Amino acid sequence: MAGWWLRPLLRLGAAATLPLVVPALVAAVVWALPGDPAEIICPRSTCTGGAELAARWRLDAGPWAFYQAWLGDALGGEFGRSWRVLQGVPVAELLTEAVPNTLVLVGAAGLLVTLAGLGGLTGALGARAEALARAVGVAPAVLLGLLAAASIELRYGADAFGPDAASWRLVAGVAVLVLADGAFGGALAGARAATAAERAARYVGVAVLRGEAPLDNMLPNLAPALVGQLRARLVQLLSGAVVVEVVLRLDGVGDLLWTGTLLQDFGVVIAAATVFAVFSAVLLAAQAVAELIIGGVVRRVPEGLAS
Amino acid sequence: MSRRAAAALALLVLILAGGLALTAPGSLPAAELSRAYLPPWEAPPFGTDQRGRPLWATLAQGASVLLGPSLLAGVLVALAATLGGLARCLALPWLDAGIALVGELVGSLPRMVVVLVAALLLPGGARSLTPLALVWAALCAPGAIDEAAAVAERLGGARFVEALRAHGFGWARIFLLHLAVRNLRPVVVRQGAEVTLQVAFLEIALSYLAQADDQPSLTHSDRVRSWADLLTMGYPSLVLDVPTGHALALGVGAMALLVVGTHAAVRAARAR
Amino acid sequence: MTAPFRPIRAWLVGVAAVASLLLTGAQLSFYEESLPGTLNPLYAQSMVDFRAQELVFDRIFYHDPVDNQIVSRVVERSELAEGGKAYRVTLKDGLRWHDGKAVGAADLCFTVEAMLDPKTPSRIAQGYRTVLAGCEVESERVALVMFTRVFHNPKERLGFALLPKGAFTGTAIAPDTDFSVHPIGSGPYKGGKGKRGVTFEAYANGHHAARVNQLSLQEGGDPIVQVNTLKQKSAQGIVAVAPPLRPDVSAADDLQLKSYDLRSWWFIAVNTKRPALADKRVRQALDRTLDRTELRTLTIGVKPGEQNSPCEFISGPFVQSSPFYNRAVPTRDKSDRATASRLLTEAGYKLVGGLWQHNGQPVKLNIGMLAPLDKEAPELLQQISNQLGAGGFDRVETRISVDDWNRRVVTGQATEFDLLVGKWSFGVVEEVNQLFETRTGAKGAFNIFGYSSPEADAAVAAYNAARTDTAAADAYHKLHAVLADQLPYLFLWKLDTKSAWRTEVRGNTISPYFYWTEVDGWTFGG
Repeated sequence: MAGWWLRPLLRLGAAATLPLVVPALVAAVVWALPGDPAEIICPRSTCTGGAELAARWRLDAGPWAFYQAWLGDALGGEFGRSWRVLQGVPVAELLTEAVPNTLVLVGAAGLLVTLAGLGGLTGALGARAEALARAVGVAPAVLLGLLAAASIELRYGADAFGPDAASWRLVAGVAVLVLADGAFGGALAGARAATAAERAARYVGVAVLRGEAPLDNMLPNLAPALVGQLRARLVQLLSGAVVVEVVLRLDGVGDLLWTGTLLQDFGVVIAAATVFAVFSAVLLAAQAVAELIIGGVVRRVPEGLAS
Repeated sequence: MSRRAAAALALLVLILAGGLALTAPGSLPAAELSRAYLPPWEAPPFGTDQRGRPLWATLAQGASVLLGPSLLAGVLVALAATLGGLARCLALPWLDAGIALVGELVGSLPRMVVVLVAALLLPGGARSLTPLALVWAALCAPGAIDEAAAVAERLGGARFVEALRAHGFGWARIFLLHLAVRNLRPVVVRQGAEVTLQVAFLEIALSYLAQADDQPSLTHSDRVRSWADLLTMGYPSLVLDVPTGHALALGVGAMALLVVGTHAAVRAARAR
Repeated sequence: MTAPFRPIRAWLVGVAAVASLLLTGAQLSFYEESLPGTLNPLYAQSMVDFRAQELVFDRIFYHDPVDNQIVSRVVERSELAEGGKAYRVTLKDGLRWHDGKAVGAADLCFTVEAMLDPKTPSRIAQGYRTVLAGCEVESERVALVMFTRVFHNPKERLGFALLPKGAFTGTAIAPDTDFSVHPIGSGPYKGGKGKRGVTFEAYANGHHAARVNQLSLQEGGDPIVQVNTLKQKSAQGIVAVAPPLRPDVSAADDLQLKSYDLRSWWFIAVNTKRPALADKRVRQALDRTLDRTELRTLTIGVKPGEQNSPCEFISGPFVQSSPFYNRAVPTRDKSDRATASRLLTEAGYKLVGGLWQHNGQPVKLNIGMLAPLDKEAPELLQQISNQLGAGGFDRVETRISVDDWNRRVVTGQATEFDLLVGKWSFGVVEEVNQLFETRTGAKGAFNIFGYSSPEADAAVAAYNAARTDTAAADAYHKLHAVLADQLPYLFLWKLDTKSAWRTEVRGNTISPYFYWTEVDGWTFGG
């Protein structure tokens, strides 16, 4: 196939630009919200000093100028201070605490969801497992999250945000993220459906007659679709992480994003969005590399037969 | 389950949910505090809430809030995926590249932030799930397009089309029947069903988060309630001695109905 | 204080410090409605902020919760000066900031200057800019605070928190500084704000000797879970218990419900600029359509005839216990639909198909409510809407977030609403001028719908000119009567909230509004 490498290269290019473009887009989107955070602190009609505050927070020259200034500072490792989420605290400090939590949360959940996909692909997890996963996945993340949060609070009381409870919150968060909203079941079902559809193809039947393992024949064709499915699932997990972190009150990037957006704390939102963009870029790059490997090695057309 | 049985089940769920949505009262009935927390056998069919109001009203209102927008989002994503798959068969590299680039950028935006901003931009009286569902569909579409395009490419893409043309089939038949209906159908219906469910779960999450953050509802008028209210009313019964288990069962049951319906639709659309 | 007494004072401080370590000790954990947004007193926005800051800072003057007298922990003596346009304050000796430095007159004047600095973007400071004119340091502990005019209650005007000059580089204080999370105060506790809670460590001072070593403020989650955590002794208190859960707390032997006077009253502001609501008779009809007794029963859970109800009806912009409340104006507890219909008909309304029409157009009331009020009075918005619906009005309801309320409603920009349900809390000074004065310049800054009345303006002017408490009360009695007649607000009630504390917590006097003013007397365990 000519040009098969175009898409993976495009993905790599997109992955490289995501950490720059996504924060700019988020800045523009959040800027569209009515009012501005300086106005919330000090409405101009009833309070003086708002103009100085807007200047201090660089809100007086438009979203592009704001983003440029932010980017310039960010490249020097300076992310400013939170305006409202945790007023006065350096954003870098907030991220330092939040990023590992989200990495663990999404990473562990991603691993389990990937295993679900592999289980569906290999047949290790069959129809019964899928039905069970779907049954559990009926429960929304909010419900399971509230149950977990309530249990932890009842168990630990005033120490509900201490180190022990924090570990349990993370474990609960992973469980909720994987099980709720049909994440695990969906990954399993998607892989099984794609595999079943591919298994029905004639070439697979021919391969079986030849005594070959069906999976060995199907995998090169299935791989791009499954990698795409997996990436979509992981992106879905990133979204789900926002809800899980907020409900379980986990200090994570998703919680910062949500709270920062509600409170119009632009510095926090854009910094957190950049972290999310980096996560997405890593996933995108991984998908591109997988496609390059599949296209270049696994599905390589023998010499002399190139079309 | 046969495809016909699955289709019938999906239709039945749609009719049930649609009937609920259509019969939803515009506002909740008057409170009767003396009838608070009655179980279904004392206040059929589903019992009452903390203000003595029948839970069926909340169930119906919740259905009216999420059914239409989630179905719309599912249909739009399925459509986008179909178009993406068909576009892959056109052998237009610039189109593929353009779709890929836009898709990667859109697909990588933090969805909850975009949805939240969209919700906050709507004036208070105009809040509904529909615009958020459309935003969600737009954010999910790239992934669906990607998968459908991968399926189309596995078929052979433009060469598959050429081969069918060589058989004398017209463009419409090739693209609509052979590609869309016969080959892309399972994946686009599955993608659409997933997005339908995602929007339903999204509504529950947003409803709860709005309430928890002292915000006006992000997904519906403040006059109506959603299935999130059933779940948040009911969940303490699992950890505390609170008589709200019937609300939890109803909320989970409603979600299960939706899951069964979407799953049945996927089964009905699977490849022969 | 003269030199010989200084060692004695230092010794007393030492004893207090040791005593506070030996007595009680332990950590007292409690749930708040939310985390405070900031610990900087200049930027307090919510009641949670005010309560948390009360633990960290000293206000120059405050009301004693027992006898309501104006007292001070930091002022040794004070006197009027310059014909009443200034107040000379002598601070006590031996007061320390939490960083160990001495509290002095320079800090008092710095606080005044920071509030007067136009580059300090603080609404609280803005309020003081119409009251304070400046400050002069006369000696190490003596400061002369100047007012913009003569006030009949000068001490009440000095109810702001003292800020340390040494903690800032200038008088323009921005909100996003480290001071917001790690403040330096002179109060009984040193505070530190984290992402999920605030910790307060007792700081022994000459004027404070807190007996509980550490307080831990937790953000509350589900109220049901909070109450159960309290029962299990995993926390010791809940500042605000939701009404539906109060019977549960009352029934527990080891928990006690304590009243907390928020010094607030609830209202429905009416948009008098709307043609459909401009006529006073229409507003009077709305007032008579509401059944406050039913609202109170269905939302707060107060049964008719209940003794010691936390919810007391009002007929004007003051609470009944206030000297400004005009007892000649009766409250309207029940609805009177017949009179309401008559008034609407007289005002030109017509009832068509069960709904009122004005000038041939159906009247649809756009009702908004401050969203957090739902916690104290669940479903109040729906109940008000239902009653107005039963009275023949079509309506649409919207909850309004705190940010939108502060940004749009309070500044008079939310003109798309017909009715707004809100709550007014007065802290130290019980003054309502800004709510009802015609909005011009700095006046009427909180006049939600731009209500304007010469009679109301005249009453406010009389209040401003008052030189005695009696004259001020007379002026406000007049204002009360005018407002009860013109009804730019439909006045609902004063609502106390209830706190829940475990019985092991003793001496827990809860001060109106600021809550923790008497925390030095609280004990726990031991």
